Amino acid sequence: MIDNFHNLEPYSLNKEEKEKLLLEHELELTKFHYNHCELYRNILNAMGGGNLDDIKSLYDLPSIPVRLFKELELKSIKDEEIFKIMTSSGTTGQKVSKIYTDKFTALLQQKVFIRLMSEFIGKKRLPMLIVDSPSVIKDRKQFSARGAGIITLNVLSTKMTYILNDDMSLNENALIEFLEENKGQKFLIFGFTFMLYQYFYKSLLKLNKKYDMSKAYMMQSGGWKKFEENKISKEEFQRRFKDICGIEHFVDHYGMVEQTGCVYADCECGNMHASIYSDIIIRNYKDFSPCKIGQEGIIQVISSLAHSYPGHSLLTEDRGVILGEDDCPCGRKGKYIKVLGRMKNAELRGCSDTYAAKF
Amino acid sequence: MQQNFSDIKYLCGNEEILSNIVNVPVLSMFSPKMKNFLYALSSQILKDPKSKNYPDVTTYAFWIRKAHIEREQLKFYNIENRLGRGVAFHIAPSNVPVNFAVSMTSALLAGNPCIIRVSNKDFEQVNIICDAINKVFEKMPEMMHYLCIIRYEHSQEITQTLSSMCDIRIIWGGDATIKEVRNASLPPRAIEMTFSDRHSFSIINADEYLKTDFQKTANNFYTDTYWTDQNACSSPRFVVWTGKEIKKAKEIFWKTLEEKVEKEYDLKPISAVNKLNSFCLFAASHKNIELIKHTNKLFRIQIDSLTSDLADFKDSCGFFYEYETQNLEDIVPLLTKPCQTISYLGINPNDIKNIVLKYGTKGADRIVEIGKTMNISFIWDGYNMIEAMTRILFTD
Repeated sequence: MIDNFHNLEPYSLNKEEKEKLLLEHELELTKFHYNHCELYRNILNAMGGGNLDDIKSLYDLPSIPVRLFKELELKSIKDEEIFKIMTSSGTTGQKVSKIYTDKFTALLQQKVFIRLMSEFIGKKRLPMLIVDSPSVIKDRKQFSARGAGIITLNVLSTKMTYILNDDMSLNENALIEFLEENKGQKFLIFGFTFMLYQYFYKSLLKLNKKYDMSKAYMMQSGGWKKFEENKISKEEFQRRFKDICGIEHFVDHYGMVEQTGCVYADCECGNMHASIYSDIIIRNYKDFSPCKIGQEGIIQVISSLAHSYPGHSLLTEDRGVILGEDDCPCGRKGKYIKVLGRMKNAELRGCSDTYAAKF
Repeated sequence: MQQNFSDIKYLCGNEEILSNIVNVPVLSMFSPKMKNFLYALSSQILKDPKSKNYPDVTTYAFWIRKAHIEREQLKFYNIENRLGRGVAFHIAPSNVPVNFAVSMTSALLAGNPCIIRVSNKDFEQVNIICDAINKVFEKMPEMMHYLCIIRYEHSQEITQTLSSMCDIRIIWGGDATIKEVRNASLPPRAIEMTFSDRHSFSIINADEYLKTDFQKTANNFYTDTYWTDQNACSSPRFVVWTGKEIKKAKEIFWKTLEEKVEKEYDLKPISAVNKLNSFCLFAASHKNIELIKHTNKLFRIQIDSLTSDLADFKDSCGFFYEYETQNLEDIVPLLTKPCQTISYLGINPNDIKNIVLKYGTKGADRIVEIGKTMNISFIWDGYNMIEAMTRILFTD
């Protein structure tokens, strides 16, 4: 069934074609998870969503909050079928998401990830500059956080070169060596947004010499959350990197461990695109009804790749807006979106504690 | 010991008064000195035009006026043999601005000098009351020795120093704060009063409800719940229905409430997601439940049994578990230690009281009418606050 998707170009279907294909698949996934994951079945029954005949469009598809994966063991496979447990990044003390994949799902997610990314950075594997220290993947404790994100990208690269020292200072020699080796060639730079800025941009700024990285594709992860405080917009971030080392290609992308593989990557016009494998619905804060194009709300993500766990339709805690559908100047079909950041925590009245953390 | 006092900010009092507070003699319970101070504070607060914007501040001012305090005093006997225990160190909560003053009032009437640590959040209510206190100090300078209202950033050192000085420590703000503050030890004779995380519920007789003014009842219930984001200890999280016409009563009750909520309540987007999350967590492990759909401002979850784990799945901002029964004793599993207030409508409070007594439950400290759960009182969380802060001088 999912093979039907592989035979199509990932951004080739218009609204009607895509909805038909995706809905059929999502119904199958919903049914499968309903039958194989008791917790999910209980939730759907209580929501009154147990009757799948009521689902007439993607908008009717029940969705569960993404945070549930931090609290519950949600899986639709037997324990002996678990191939890999993926965890989300999280700071100390925070609960992390646990995503249970079988071999089929893990391979599928990887395949689609490569397929989608190659639409933006080309089909060839490329040398990759990692803006992090090599110890990030050696230290098992940190591994689940940043390290896991880096490891996933292994499939896109021929060789990974780490250019930060353990103290987050720039290893200029490693940088020079890398640029020398790959002179005149296309290559990738990857880092988490705040690290790219704090430890790469700021270090480059201090150097007397300018390095030419105009052939680079800068990929980033981790969102813009920390930058809201810095008051640096995505556009300003990109302009600064262009100034300092000539980078012209930026592939910012939106995605989450709960729906690995289904990335929403920036096109040449700076819009994030949903492929045929997934979709985005923006939900109204007031009643979770779907928002129109241009109307801000809560992001719901739909994926065709969540086969081993009921994560095919999730309500995130991110705010976003659909900018358009099928008509991006880049030529890609499907919805294109803008992610507006995390929803703000509410400071409630009442006596229950908000103060303990600060005391 | 002196040096870390320099990190303290004083809203009332100063470093010298704080350093010397352990040497201040205690006063007798309901001493004229303390009472006169409170009466003066009451009129000072009411004089300030700013206080008009804060019903919680004016409510407090009325609560400490002469007529009310005199009436409260009549409820005690043997006052002449009771006096303060010593320095009362209060740690006030961060999100009920006026609470520090209620705690202070009890301690002063018990005869104790007070050190009060208020939250670092800048509440106008706190400023109004502290300004009024400082004005009263001008007229009654001798009262200054009894009171320091302070702020400080997280500091185990300061908390320990102040704890070492006190005879009563009063911790508001919930389980996490209590755990944190308890890292600071107390002197051997000091006592501690803790106000931990609590939850509450309502019982409504459907037939009696149908005889009430629906709008008024909705207003009362709104005050108990949405007015504090349904996040106060006393806010009902569960509603138990009894009587014959439950179906009809529920329909009218929620419809009337929802109209008010739609107009007046501001739900934060993240709270909508939080509520859906709490519902799913509960639904994942419980069968035979149903979510009744309203807008995101009102979540109602119908359940077919009351179990002691229900409170683990509570949420705020308009999130209610509903249960129907003809047997009031079904509530017993809810009366666990964290259970605080049972609010009722159309039920004889003695029937509820008798269940608590019959089963010897460790929870349930308060049985009050719907609409009154937020009322301030000297009796709170099972303590008679003033009395608990005194000592008895026994003479044979």
